[in-house]
Amino acid sequence: METHSELGGMNLAFLDVKNITRELLNNNNKKLKIIDNINFSVEKGEFLSIIGPSGCGKTTLLRLISGLDRPEEGQVTVAGERIVKPDVSRGYVFQNGGLYPWETIEKNISLGLEAVQGRNFDRNLVKHFIEIMGLQNFENAYPSQVSGGMAQRTALARSLILQPQLLLLDEPMGALDAFTRADVQNIVFKLWRDTKTTMILVTHDIDEAIYLSQKILVMTPHPGRVKEVVKNDLPFPRKRDSTNFLKQRRKLQEILSFE
Amino acid sequence: MSFSKKRENSSNTSEKKYWKSWNIKWNFFSILSVLVALLENVFISSKENVNNGSYRIFLGCYLIYLVFIYLGGHYFSLKVRLFGGHFAQLNFILGILLCVQDLLTEKFSIFSLPYFVSFAQVLDQINEDKSLLLQSTGASLLLWSLSFAFGTLIGIVLGILIGRYRQFNYWSLPFLKVIGIIPAAAWMPLTMVIFPTSYLAEISLIVLSVWFPVAFMTKGGVENISPTYFEAAHTLGFNEIRIIRKVVIPGALPNIFVGIFTATGLSFTMLVISEMVGARVGLGWYINWAKGTGNYTQVYAAITIMAILFSCIFIVINKLQGTALRWRPTVN
Repeated sequence: METHSELGGMNLAFLDVKNITRELLNNNNKKLKIIDNINFSVEKGEFLSIIGPSGCGKTTLLRLISGLDRPEEGQVTVAGERIVKPDVSRGYVFQNGGLYPWETIEKNISLGLEAVQGRNFDRNLVKHFIEIMGLQNFENAYPSQVSGGMAQRTALARSLILQPQLLLLDEPMGALDAFTRADVQNIVFKLWRDTKTTMILVTHDIDEAIYLSQKILVMTPHPGRVKEVVKNDLPFPRKRDSTNFLKQRRKLQEILSFE
Repeated sequence: MSFSKKRENSSNTSEKKYWKSWNIKWNFFSILSVLVALLENVFISSKENVNNGSYRIFLGCYLIYLVFIYLGGHYFSLKVRLFGGHFAQLNFILGILLCVQDLLTEKFSIFSLPYFVSFAQVLDQINEDKSLLLQSTGASLLLWSLSFAFGTLIGIVLGILIGRYRQFNYWSLPFLKVIGIIPAAAWMPLTMVIFPTSYLAEISLIVLSVWFPVAFMTKGGVENISPTYFEAAHTLGFNEIRIIRKVVIPGALPNIFVGIFTATGLSFTMLVISEMVGARVGLGWYINWAKGTGNYTQVYAAITIMAILFSCIFIVINKLQGTALRWRPTVN
């Protein structure tokens, strides 16, 4: 086990991704690089977006950061500690929410808290999250009975209630319609601003990345590599029709179109 | 009369379930057909010597029920209207069938005793044997409940262990597959001598018929749970016990119920067979005893009771499923 002290000598950022490579075996039993030698870092409280065409390994990268998968080479460290398995300190919001369909909205939010705090978990905190997510009156509904937007807000609440030091968002707005998407984007922005949680968002929506993040990591596919990390320091709250926003979008489109 | 398909755009579930629309004509015909069955029984003279009292009370109750449905649906309740409208045609046919079987057996003796018995005589036999039948039904129900609960429990536990743990799967699955595929009835001679009491032998036979389908459906259910649910559990800090309780069991529950339904049918078979062989009480024993004395009316009586009892058990399991799986977007 590599511990904090072992890595203490190195000057690490809050999240440090170093030379990571992920390989899978393809149908012919040949090794296929999904992502190849990726390096980047994220500061505490920062919001980073990862964009790129589908198949570029965005989700793979996010899974490696969470510990759901392990890299073949390289390592990921958070606050100096090497990541070997998933943990409550790193929240993960899945593409389709990953809510338990057999539990009510309230139960879905409180399950993690109950697992961490035991039977006498903080019920007021659950209530608080139900309120800030606008899920009042739906506590006892099942995920199949609520809208896609509500389901994603529940998924956000479920992870955030554990007060993770890092929140990983895997295209949580990908399957939503335009109105709901804007709504959930606003909620994510407010939660980031208010809780100061470090967040990493995987998306294929350029506007979403520009709207929310401070840094945008652009990836190219086959194998997944970092093309460029773009600074995105427009003042918050951002307006989608401002000149600077449009300028930023054009810049990203250019980066994405050069292969 | 319309032969329309199930209506799909109806929001009300009972409207979906009771899709035949209310038609006063059919309610009227249903009352008429049962009334004809009653009058036929009263006024046509019998070739067989039958006490028709119980049958006439039954038809009378049926008639009163139909009149209540007719009046209730016509004047008062929408729910009765949906329900009564849907089943009116079936009630009509049932009335005719009752009438026809009565004519064929008791009245003209075209199908004659002792192998073919009128429904009137079956009801009379039930009435006559009611304390013995009640005792037998109680004994069968107790035996079935105990064995079925035990078999289901074993099945679910094994299914979860096989579905969740690779090592357990590797070491036990080949053996369990071979044992499970053997029909439970084949064990009968052995269980009779191995177990100290015949009651334990009966229990073990029913358990043998139940655990296998439940275990294998549970295993399939556990294996089909989306990996996302387990990954989410890891990021939410679940330990293994919590994963089993909150992910594995509820995730496999739809499949577990499929296994339970399969096992239910098998368990009824084993219940009757094992009671026929080993028992001193129970509906299976009653049938065997009646066969010995050559009273086939009693066989029909026991079959009638079984039809009712086993239907009730199915209804209860169905309700349990509906409650346990209420989170599913569509149950049934």
